[in-house]
Amino acid sequence: MSRKIAFYGKGGIGKSTTQQNTAAAMAHFYGKKVFIHGCDPKADSTRLILGGMPQDTLMDLLRDIGEDKITVDNVVRSGFKDIRCVESGGPEPGVGCAGRGVITAIDLMEELGAYTDDLDFVYFDVLGDVVCGGFAMPIRDGKAEEVYIVCSGEMMAIYAANNIAKGLLKYAEQSGVRLGGIICNSRKVDGELELMQEFTKALGTQMIHFVPRDNVVQKAEFNKKSVVEFDAECNQAKEYATLAKKIIENEMFVIPTPLPMSELELMVAKYGLID
Amino acid sequence: MSCEIKSKKRAGIINPMVTCQPAGAQYASIGIEDCTAIVHGGQGCVMFVRLLFSQHLNENFDIASSSLHEDAAVLGAVHRVEGAVDVLLERYPHVKVVPIITTCSTEIIGDDVEGVIRKLKKGLLATKYADREVHLLPVHTPSFKGSQTSGYDAAVTAFVKHFATKTDECNGKLNLITGWVDPGDVAELKHLLKMMDVDATVLFEIENFDSPLMPDKSAVSHGTTTIEDMQGTANAIGTIALNKYEGGKAAEYLRDKFEIPTIIGPTPIGIRNTDTFLKNVSKLTGKPIPESLVRERGKAIDALQDLAHMFFADKKVAIYGHPDLAIGLAEFCLDLSMKPVLLLIGDENPNYAKDPRLLAIKEHAEFDMEVITNADLWELEDRIKNKGLEVDLILGHSKGRYIPVDNNIPMVRVGFPVYDRAGYYRHPKVGYNGAVWLAEEMANVLFTDMEYKKDREWILAMW
Repeated sequence: MSRKIAFYGKGGIGKSTTQQNTAAAMAHFYGKKVFIHGCDPKADSTRLILGGMPQDTLMDLLRDIGEDKITVDNVVRSGFKDIRCVESGGPEPGVGCAGRGVITAIDLMEELGAYTDDLDFVYFDVLGDVVCGGFAMPIRDGKAEEVYIVCSGEMMAIYAANNIAKGLLKYAEQSGVRLGGIICNSRKVDGELELMQEFTKALGTQMIHFVPRDNVVQKAEFNKKSVVEFDAECNQAKEYATLAKKIIENEMFVIPTPLPMSELELMVAKYGLID
Repeated sequence: MSCEIKSKKRAGIINPMVTCQPAGAQYASIGIEDCTAIVHGGQGCVMFVRLLFSQHLNENFDIASSSLHEDAAVLGAVHRVEGAVDVLLERYPHVKVVPIITTCSTEIIGDDVEGVIRKLKKGLLATKYADREVHLLPVHTPSFKGSQTSGYDAAVTAFVKHFATKTDECNGKLNLITGWVDPGDVAELKHLLKMMDVDATVLFEIENFDSPLMPDKSAVSHGTTTIEDMQGTANAIGTIALNKYEGGKAAEYLRDKFEIPTIIGPTPIGIRNTDTFLKNVSKLTGKPIPESLVRERGKAIDALQDLAHMFFADKKVAIYGHPDLAIGLAEFCLDLSMKPVLLLIGDENPNYAKDPRLLAIKEHAEFDMEVITNADLWELEDRIKNKGLEVDLILGHSKGRYIPVDNNIPMVRVGFPVYDRAGYYRHPKVGYNGAVWLAEEMANVLFTDMEYKKDREWILAMW
């Protein structure tokens, strides 16, 4: 049985980067078979694995060749370490309905049997926030059972994480989805580790890993590669290996207890104002 | 001499021939006993569909709506389903089956119907209705996809998937998935099966849509297919789905999941297709075709041959409607030496162009013929008014009635909905009796037309 997991987090937090580096680490260090389904209309959830963006998105194909001509072969691409990738794609900014795009894409992949049983992990990389019903599609019944929120010690990232936890709470009863933990993608802000520890504790979850900031991530991205592919020996690759291992071995799955706004503000201020 | 199968090229639809998916799902749901559907969407998705049903059948059918408004569209609307289920169950103590039929609005906003059903099962059903048998099942019918035909197909599949339960024993019955038909068709199909001495589970038993008005006022128009019937479909000796596009998927599911021998098609319109149907029944059940049906067939052929040479031969016919119905009618017309020059199918499906029945018609076309998919009624009207198409007869439903009325062309009402002729739902279009009824209807409208137009009407006195 494959484990289906979804990555959420504020836009620009490094969600797709973290997700792809973790996937690469799982495949490289632990020989896991991974499938990444990018659910962001920008279609940038798989470029580090595929070395650029050579992929037609599902919605592109739906428009261009029609639903009945879409096959697993013409929409799924294999990249680094045979990680299989598909991008939902979606409308240009300002038109259409990106949320419906996510629903259509996941329905189609399930119908085509793209999430095969031999996979160890299916990743859903979802944009920004659970802004509407469509972006909750990956955590519906029978889809992702565990969620990781990528976060940092910045106030807005924590707000977003708290909001996502609210979304999860709503679906926890309906679909059985659980929070597997918060991944701290460090921004090197004041009191980040401490704040993150207190925040995750308040949510009833864990900080599954603290990924330090390292310039090699940028460097690898410029080369259209994951850190693991770019330099498997570097320290950052080991950090992603540790994160991958923690996710593989994770047994802490909770229904989160999101905080009211007032408490959240106090908590952020407490650490943000240390000087 | 050619037959072209093509999709309508013009953008937009003028006078649509079909309505959308939820209508089909609702038509399937009213065939089940103790079943009231909740259509999750705006009220119009139920209101207009119920209007069509009552126009066609002259009966009333209860269907519920979660009745979405602006706030629910923005804020998410599954709570409307929760409320609707509670109200429905409280108010109607007999209701056991509640399909939740989605619509465009609720599909677009991404309402998690599976999720809310799971929640209701654990909550409301387990507590407030713990002593009741209640089945909630999702039926996904976004209106921007397919048509009422695919919606019907989706609903039959959803019902079969939900209920079909394998047990150790074969129930000895034949599954008969009729497709979207009239009460008169179901009565005729059951008559054929009875003559064959075959016990069948009919999806769906809609004979009661033609309901009596009883002295005790007990008449209720509703289908009578039971939960047990649907559960038993997994233990049948075979499945016949008459209409490929209306129930074919459910038959495939039963075949693939429970290894039930399955035959899909043909729609038994006309002698040839009824012959095939009976042979298929015989093949799956081992029962011989009895002498009584041979006689029935003989009577039908006698009735047809009285009309075919003299009145039908070379008559040009335009046909529109559901795909299986339209194809079946075209085959019947060909058998009667008529020329179905135009066939309009109201929706799009990549399988239409590959349909072996259409390919056979194409291969043997002895006159110029067009098959248009994704067609609207303007395709017919425009050809007749502006492009010089001459037809002697139109076969189709009442939504196109102004075309024959405006252009003085005889028409036989067939399909859904028919509301400008009395009692048409009562008559079969399938089986030998259906063939006779259809042929005599066609002949009689042609006769009336001859009289009305003073067109060799004297022949009728000599015939």
